[in-house]
Amino acid sequence: MSSANKPTTAVKLVLLGEAAVGKSSLVLRFVSNDFQENKEPTIGAAFLTQRCTIGDKTIKFEIWDTAGQERFASLAPMYYRNAQAALVVYDITKPASFIKARHWVKELHEQASKDIIIALCGNKYDLISKNNEEGEEIESNRKVSIEEGQNLAEEENLLFFETSAKTAYNVNEVFMAIGNKIPSGKKKNNDGGLGLSAGRGDNDDNNNGRVDLNAPIDAGANNANCAC
Amino acid sequence: MSFLGNLKDKVSQAILEKSSANSKKLTKDESFRLEYNLPDTETIIDESAAEISIVSPYTSKNSISDNTLPFFSGKIYLTQRFLVFRDVYDKRTCSFVLHISSIKKVERVPSNSYIFALSITAYSGLQYIIQYVGIRSRSEQFSHKFKIMLKENLPNVKHLRPFLETCYSEYLLSKNHCNVEEFQNQPAGGLGLKFKFPGDARKLKDKSKMRLWFEYFKAHGRNITLSRDQMFYKLIRVGLPNRLRGEIWELCCGSMYLRLDNKDEYSSILKLNEGKHSLAIDEIEKDLNRSLPEFPAYQTEEGINRLRRVLTAYSWKNTEVGYCQAMNIVVAALLIYMSEEQAFWCLSIICDRLVPGYYSKTMYGTLLDQKVYESLVQKTMPLLWEHITKNDIQLSVVSLPWFLSLFLSSMPLVFAFRIVDVFFLNGPKTLFQVALAILRINGEELLRTEDDGTFISILKDYFSTLDDSAHPNSPNEHYRSITKFQELLVVSFKEFAIVTDEMVENFRARNKNEVFQGIENFIKRTQLRNFPRTRNLTPENLSNIYDRFYQIVQSSDVKMGGGTSLMDFELYKVFMSEITDWVNLNNQYEDKNQDAFLKRLFNNWDVEKRNALTLENIVVGLNKLVEIDLMEGLSNFFELYDVDGNGKVNKEGMLLISEDLLYLTTPWRDGFKLDSITNKAIESAIADEIIKQQQLAEKINKEREDNANGNSSSNENLPEIKIPTEIDIDREKLERQQSERYLSAASMFIQRSFEYAQPEENPEVPLIDLDDNGDEADRMTKLMANAALDPTHPKYLNLPTFRMVILADETYELFFSETFRDSFHIDSKINSLNKNSRNLRDMFDGLLADGRRVANEVRRRMDTQSASSAASVSSRVQQNDNTSIKSRSHTISSFNDEEDDDFRGTPLEEDLLDNAEAQVLSEIVPSEGRDKLELANNSIVDHDVKILESFSNENKNSTTTNGKKNDPAIIEFET
Repeated sequence: MSSANKPTTAVKLVLLGEAAVGKSSLVLRFVSNDFQENKEPTIGAAFLTQRCTIGDKTIKFEIWDTAGQERFASLAPMYYRNAQAALVVYDITKPASFIKARHWVKELHEQASKDIIIALCGNKYDLISKNNEEGEEIESNRKVSIEEGQNLAEEENLLFFETSAKTAYNVNEVFMAIGNKIPSGKKKNNDGGLGLSAGRGDNDDNNNGRVDLNAPIDAGANNANCAC
Repeated sequence: MSFLGNLKDKVSQAILEKSSANSKKLTKDESFRLEYNLPDTETIIDESAAEISIVSPYTSKNSISDNTLPFFSGKIYLTQRFLVFRDVYDKRTCSFVLHISSIKKVERVPSNSYIFALSITAYSGLQYIIQYVGIRSRSEQFSHKFKIMLKENLPNVKHLRPFLETCYSEYLLSKNHCNVEEFQNQPAGGLGLKFKFPGDARKLKDKSKMRLWFEYFKAHGRNITLSRDQMFYKLIRVGLPNRLRGEIWELCCGSMYLRLDNKDEYSSILKLNEGKHSLAIDEIEKDLNRSLPEFPAYQTEEGINRLRRVLTAYSWKNTEVGYCQAMNIVVAALLIYMSEEQAFWCLSIICDRLVPGYYSKTMYGTLLDQKVYESLVQKTMPLLWEHITKNDIQLSVVSLPWFLSLFLSSMPLVFAFRIVDVFFLNGPKTLFQVALAILRINGEELLRTEDDGTFISILKDYFSTLDDSAHPNSPNEHYRSITKFQELLVVSFKEFAIVTDEMVENFRARNKNEVFQGIENFIKRTQLRNFPRTRNLTPENLSNIYDRFYQIVQSSDVKMGGGTSLMDFELYKVFMSEITDWVNLNNQYEDKNQDAFLKRLFNNWDVEKRNALTLENIVVGLNKLVEIDLMEGLSNFFELYDVDGNGKVNKEGMLLISEDLLYLTTPWRDGFKLDSITNKAIESAIADEIIKQQQLAEKINKEREDNANGNSSSNENLPEIKIPTEIDIDREKLERQQSERYLSAASMFIQRSFEYAQPEENPEVPLIDLDDNGDEADRMTKLMANAALDPTHPKYLNLPTFRMVILADETYELFFSETFRDSFHIDSKINSLNKNSRNLRDMFDGLLADGRRVANEVRRRMDTQSASSAASVSSRVQQNDNTSIKSRSHTISSFNDEEDDDFRGTPLEEDLLDNAEAQVLSEIVPSEGRDKLELANNSIVDHDVKILESFSNENKNSTTTNGKKNDPAIIEFET
């Protein structure tokens, strides 16, 4: 996965969202390609890392997985401090979790690093699809429409995906899309702001260079190009 | 939306917690209860020095009179339900907490006349011999009180037997024929009894531990009669045996007493709340399947149901806490060793006493203890701390779960339970000791890492190898046999024995403010972010309103002990009195009008009609009240009186408006506040005074120069305008003029309102056709009929007319465009507002603080002075005044025509605005008008001074300085 001769960019990524929407499961799927039915709730926060090669750059995701329960929210600033990316997760079968996601996006825009890249994830896609992927939707389970998610993403300038940690649907894609937006080649340490603003030019170059990996931003499309 | 509701609860919670955390000075009874883990109902009734001996029917063959019997000297305390003893030198040598209902017999021991001793026999057969030390009469007194308590506890005796049947210790002794009473049935216990306890019982030497406890119980009593000596502490250190673990836990933390005293509460809470829903229950349901899922019991309905019942019951018992993630893990762990009821009370003690605030809605306890932990790391391991901060490693990511889940989610359960054993015995300092020891043991390795990831994985690896040898390469077999976990215990409780309760308390006190500040800021930020947009309130305004709102709501809440975030009418009055100039709660005279107006506002803001305002209601309401746009502001004000929303205010309404305006303008009528018209007048008056003084000085100078035949042209340069330190102003006059202006505005308002109000039309009767060809009589009857529909000739005021009437009066127009808005004090922070600053002197101070303005005024005056004479000016001003009034009344009538005809397309508001502007322009009186002084020499010129200030004709008199004779107020100021 990683290669020694390529520069490694460390990306601090924080996961936020209501309790039991599947934050830890998304991370577990991404990091270990595994799924646990009854995952113990995250107490405070958990920390995991995953290396990932996208094109010619290697990204080391430093993932801060936070507790979802409302009362843990005041701990969150401790973890999203200096984060370059955030994954705001909701459960597409739980409308309240979408409201909560909206609040997190607002909070991040207001309090987190200015250039933070935010991806919005409507998780538990498996609950509305009969087959693993692209089956007929069981619409009665769906409580948050894809349009609602897309609209929020558009309004707030977010990446948007519907995902399933259980079936791995779109999970790698989310991280890849984030990785793609990260300016490359900066130093490993989490010197947040400086690295990002300096790397602005890089960012544009990258986007021009690799169109294919940026494609899944349009989450409705069944883009399953995963090569993490 | 529950999210915002939660948030509001959280604010209240935070402030309540803060206030309780701040009043931390414990009373003697409080510390006593904490030390012996007694229920909150207990107080010390009496205490005495005493020497005691304990005799067990199973171990001692000695008789009471035997001199070799070991005795301990210490102090004995009597509370409502307990007899407590502790050794005077070391509590660990001997102490006991005896529940009075467990006492079967009390006798006086036959002894010498000067020694007073009692022999107490408990149900367990144990005999406690208490020999009082001290004056006989005091001892008698103690015994007397003891006797009373014994009597009062008689009703409790019947609860004893059922309670004892729930104690495994009794069953154990009975099974081994060492119990006075028989206990046939094994008591309900933890899930471990059925699903196997974690760990290898043989490896844990469970049987021998059990044996040791058996011996201990025989000699020292058990549960509510147990006396503790060194052995007791040792037995806990080596780890509790599975079957006794639950009982010793509840004994150590004191939850056993709660369970004994509150029999059936657990089941009745469950019954009472059966089928009810709550947020906490939703949250609990989410986590039931995720609590120690690897323990077999939690893969079954039985285990899940027990967990659900305990968590749910507690969420009802303590709604402030409800449910917090991590409690599921703690309770799941407790339930392995405890019955539901035991676990319920134990959880209660954990949340209330052992780790208060850990699971609360704000989690302030958790945050605080993380800070304390960091401080302790810094203090005890400065090198490592420096390394951690230098590399920006988030220590709390690893340590927070340790504290919050009592290590149960961090290390293998067998080990975590050993730590929990000590935790229940020694309290929260245990968590710090272990947490510090973990870093100490792994310190060297941790110093080599520079990122969070490795830091965390080192500790993860450490926890997963706790069973390995701590010294695998040691030649000494004994050393090799020491496991990492044993090493951890030694380091925790030996090396970090320096971490005491007092030290923890001190660090908590030190970090408390910072933590609460952080929480409050977070909550506030979140709440403010979710407010509706308010264009008239700045973020600072909102922040100040927020602070003040909660200060007022909480101060009443703390008194009432509630946790709401609603403001009722009484509090609203207080709130408004703090932020406005026109609400005065001390003034009896104004109360009626004030209450009426405030009630009107209150009802208007209370959109949900719950007779109380949320912060959001207040923000929305205030935003409307301080509307920057004059027209919009007038509509908002009108809306207050248009209760049925039909755009009309009837006669009564008009009267109400005029009364309320009269009330609202009280501070200006009474001269407590000055509006900008008066301010201008004051500026001018001061300028005049300065000029007069200067002229006087110049005159003197000139005379002196003339006398001295002095040389020329000292007046060529622009002289510096000196602001004198003292000025005489005719205060009374200024106040009176302002007051008159307001009174006349009020009377004009009511007069014009009635004059221009529209007659109410009856839709059923057609409008009188003016082109009617019918005879005069017919027309008259029609008119009569029309009027007769309502004998009172109903008239109404609509919004355009209301606006027009207000704009027709300079003072009221200014009031709505500026004065009223300026009477709100939401710019100032909660503590910086000086409420008593509303008097004329301070107004002057404020006005003159910026000396430049006055200086400009003076220069301007000097500029234009030569061009005019006092007489011509005064007549011109007079004229100007007349024309402006005339034009004003003209606009009124033309407007009214428009309104009546309802034909012309021109929007009224625009016209009005134009006219308002025209009015303002017409107010600009040539500044010469203010000067009456004649200067012989006026070469002072400052062309840069821009003259574009309106000046009211009323002020022209006040600018004359001859008002001095009327008790002038002396205004001092500095430049």
